[in-house]
Amino acid sequence: MIPKETTEAKGNDMAFSNEKNPQAASNRRKWVKVVVPMAFLLAICTAATAYFPKSAKVNTTKAGALRQNVVVPGVTATDPGPRPLPATAGNFLPSLSGNEQQIEPSITTEFNRAHDVIVTSPTDGGLGPRFNGNSCVQCHAYPAPGGSSPPSNPLFSLYNANGATNTMPFFETSTGPVLEARFINVPGTTTPDGNVHQLFTIKGRTDAAGCGITQPDFTTASSQGNLALRQVSPTYGDGLIEVIRNVDIINNMNANLTRKSQLGITGHPVYAGNDGSIQRFGWKAQVRSTLLMAGNQMNVEMGVTNDIFPNEIDQTPGCVLNPVPETYTNYSPGILTEMFPGDAERTSYFIQWLAPPTPGPSSNSTKNGKTQFNNVGCVMCHTTSFKTPATSRPALGNITINLYSDLLVHHMGPGLADGLQQGGAGPDEFRTAPLWGIGQRLWFMHDGRTNDIVQAIEDHMSLGNSQYPASEANKAVTNFNNLNSTNQQDLVNFLRSL
Amino acid sequence: MRRSDNSPIQHNSGSNSRRRVPYILAMTLLSVAALAALMTTTHRAVVHGSSSAVDPGPRPLPANAGKFYSTLTANQNSITNRLTQIFTEVNFVAGGPLVKTVGLGPRFNSNSCSSCHAYPAVGGSSPPNNPLFSIYQLQGATNSMPYFVTTNGPVIVARFPYKSDLHTPDGGVHQMFTISNRTDAPGCTTMVQPDFDTARNTNNIIFRQTTPTYGTGLMELIQESDIVANMNSNLTLKQSLGISGHPNYSDDDGTITRFGWKAQNKSLEYFSGEAYSVEEGVSDEAFPSENDESIASCLPPFPVPPGTNKTKGVPDDRNDTGEAPKAPVNFPGDLLRFTLFMRFLAPPTPAASTQSTINGLAQFNAIGCNLCHNNSFTTPKSSIAALSNVQANLYSDLLVHHLGPGDADNVSQGNAGGDEFRTAPLWGIGQRYFFMHDGRTSDIVQAIEDHRSSSNGTYPDSEANQVINSFDALSPTNQQDLVNFLRSL
Repeated sequence: MIPKETTEAKGNDMAFSNEKNPQAASNRRKWVKVVVPMAFLLAICTAATAYFPKSAKVNTTKAGALRQNVVVPGVTATDPGPRPLPATAGNFLPSLSGNEQQIEPSITTEFNRAHDVIVTSPTDGGLGPRFNGNSCVQCHAYPAPGGSSPPSNPLFSLYNANGATNTMPFFETSTGPVLEARFINVPGTTTPDGNVHQLFTIKGRTDAAGCGITQPDFTTASSQGNLALRQVSPTYGDGLIEVIRNVDIINNMNANLTRKSQLGITGHPVYAGNDGSIQRFGWKAQVRSTLLMAGNQMNVEMGVTNDIFPNEIDQTPGCVLNPVPETYTNYSPGILTEMFPGDAERTSYFIQWLAPPTPGPSSNSTKNGKTQFNNVGCVMCHTTSFKTPATSRPALGNITINLYSDLLVHHMGPGLADGLQQGGAGPDEFRTAPLWGIGQRLWFMHDGRTNDIVQAIEDHMSLGNSQYPASEANKAVTNFNNLNSTNQQDLVNFLRSL
Repeated sequence: MRRSDNSPIQHNSGSNSRRRVPYILAMTLLSVAALAALMTTTHRAVVHGSSSAVDPGPRPLPANAGKFYSTLTANQNSITNRLTQIFTEVNFVAGGPLVKTVGLGPRFNSNSCSSCHAYPAVGGSSPPNNPLFSIYQLQGATNSMPYFVTTNGPVIVARFPYKSDLHTPDGGVHQMFTISNRTDAPGCTTMVQPDFDTARNTNNIIFRQTTPTYGTGLMELIQESDIVANMNSNLTLKQSLGISGHPNYSDDDGTITRFGWKAQNKSLEYFSGEAYSVEEGVSDEAFPSENDESIASCLPPFPVPPGTNKTKGVPDDRNDTGEAPKAPVNFPGDLLRFTLFMRFLAPPTPAASTQSTINGLAQFNAIGCNLCHNNSFTTPKSSIAALSNVQANLYSDLLVHHLGPGDADNVSQGNAGGDEFRTAPLWGIGQRYFFMHDGRTSDIVQAIEDHRSSSNGTYPDSEANQVINSFDALSPTNQQDLVNFLRSL
């Protein structure tokens, strides 16, 4: 069994921030004794590709295994923690048309709707037979609907709802992030899998009599190193991200090449097999648009079949309890215009209309922090802004958006690698996560491994090994570690101002 | 190169053939020699193996397809005319007659769905006369016609297997035409067509023809468990014939994808979104990018007179949330409306059976065609009543199979490799004009023979080889009856 991440992180936060804490010093000495020789060995093994940072320790942790915060001499910054509510996100774009504002409540209803199993109208029901959640808003919750994981894990009030007999997978904790599970290989084989394996089934639910399918064996998967976890991404501003021109993404990729080369940064887009355009959503940039994301998520996360993904993921007899697709175009006479398309379409409107988060007011500290952010090279991947082109959605056109992402995927080293290939993104590659809104984010990195933003910075660093090259972030993070205390803290304060 | 060896292949034990190294070496050498010989010719003589059957040709009109289900509800019926309008509307760059008929290009293969999905009725496949000749220079466009498009040939789209280094995989569609110099694209003058001649000279171009959309609403609902159960049936017989096959899967939800020549598309809405952007250049809600952003003057908005309908930006086609409410069917973007159109299109109606076609079906099953061209699936219960629990006689297992070097196009899509293709559904081929993924033949007997090809250094034997041998070994009457059966579909 795995220690709870929050406890782990908190303990180390103390060690991290209090130089005089003898326990912390002792811990660090132990780390130094163990990690430095190991790191040295690793460095020799991978001398051709690995960059060996002079002061940081290596994170070689795999999903589900014991995690311990990296202890970095010289890093004194502390995470001030998420900015308190009220939410700085969750508003709709102010430039929505009159009609959009008028139909917005019905669209919001869709995002918030809790799905039971049995369908009684084209907009409700459809849960399962396998599922992770029963509404969009349940996981896309914080700091406002459309966001990411809330402080209390919502799955604990869901997994046994309506008589369901699920057990809670070991990696979910009541105060941890919502995590979904993917298997690297088809269990017991070397065939790549990569799909989401839903946490729960409808077995035992009063509205699912006759369905007997059981949950996946996550414990065995973990013990075989076959489990990869992913947390919830926020959706604010995604309508803007999806219309950014490919050519602008490419031009940005090709900018500052000398500086990037000095830092060991490359990165590349992930292309849609369909139209050859650049995909932008998901931890590995595996989804092209808000519409495809909405359809995908309805089926993958909730098991609600829809106009884009009309087939149940599990068709075990007794478990397919509704005609498919479960949400669909509503042909009823007299239907309101905005109720005509199915939920996949309407959920995509909700996402498209959400405005980006509003940063906190800037201070001298955050201003300097942004300068440091640029100086150490964070900005070489976390590109400050793009501008949207002319768009047919009047609210979204010609806007400069400060997303802090280049929308490319980068090698992040063995420490973050999750072993999953998705489209053009390799097992050690991840999309540069947009940083807008992280001022109120509770969990960081693809698997939500930490709630400490300083730790999240350090988690970008990882030496190469025989399997994967070094993280492209190593030099930038080393530069961060070499900043003086004030500059480090200002950079962290800047991030928490977003 | 179409096929390296036209002679019938006698395999006593097809499943072992891949392990026979000397054999493979010999075949590879033969293939290389044959390739060298064939690369200098663009057209290949039709050789029917040892078959004596004759294609009676497509059944004459009236169309046996193109009708909507008689079981649609009244409200579904009430929107079918509008859906047909949407599927048949001609798109302009800007300045089209209607708000939602804008957004063509900057690169495109055609300007409406129904120009290519045309025969024997709207929703079908290539008509006998190639529609592109009346489209490519519309509105003053200065396109030239690529060498591979012929006036009475199929509509085919071009893909380049590799990028210009001839090594890095490409696989994408390279649209034939651009909007340069069209009067409804003021300012766009410099976007040039792809260099198809160089692609031909470097053997780096492959073609795909239009697939029909009738009955696809049923195909998208067929349960994965039924597809897999069918895959796992008759295994002994399949193995003895060298037939395997596997599904292509969606990266999104992990379910089986079914549409397109390599089963690369998940659903009708996914397909609509892709085709709108790829074939017409109309960016849409699923694929909101213009298909070439390299020349700013060829991107919206265009400087057309105020008040003219124009594309304001990406996506060219979108829902009408921004505007005053109108009829519900006019609210969603075209991509959902194309979906509904295709979903409501009933499968083709076969011709009345005869003694010949009844025996032909028996032969079809006896020699093993049906082991891939699986006669039917039944849909599960559907929220669209017309599609619920319907037996779909599609003659496909919806799997992809190795078809040998003769058909291989070196384009890998999802789980489908460069030599793998989805078993094409055969319903409606009685009125089909062109066959195989690249429309290489209009002779259905040749199409049967084109399923056969022996391995080379790159790809294994076609899984169809032994079945085609069996076809060739049938008596002339049985061969002809089988062909007549196909033309009755």
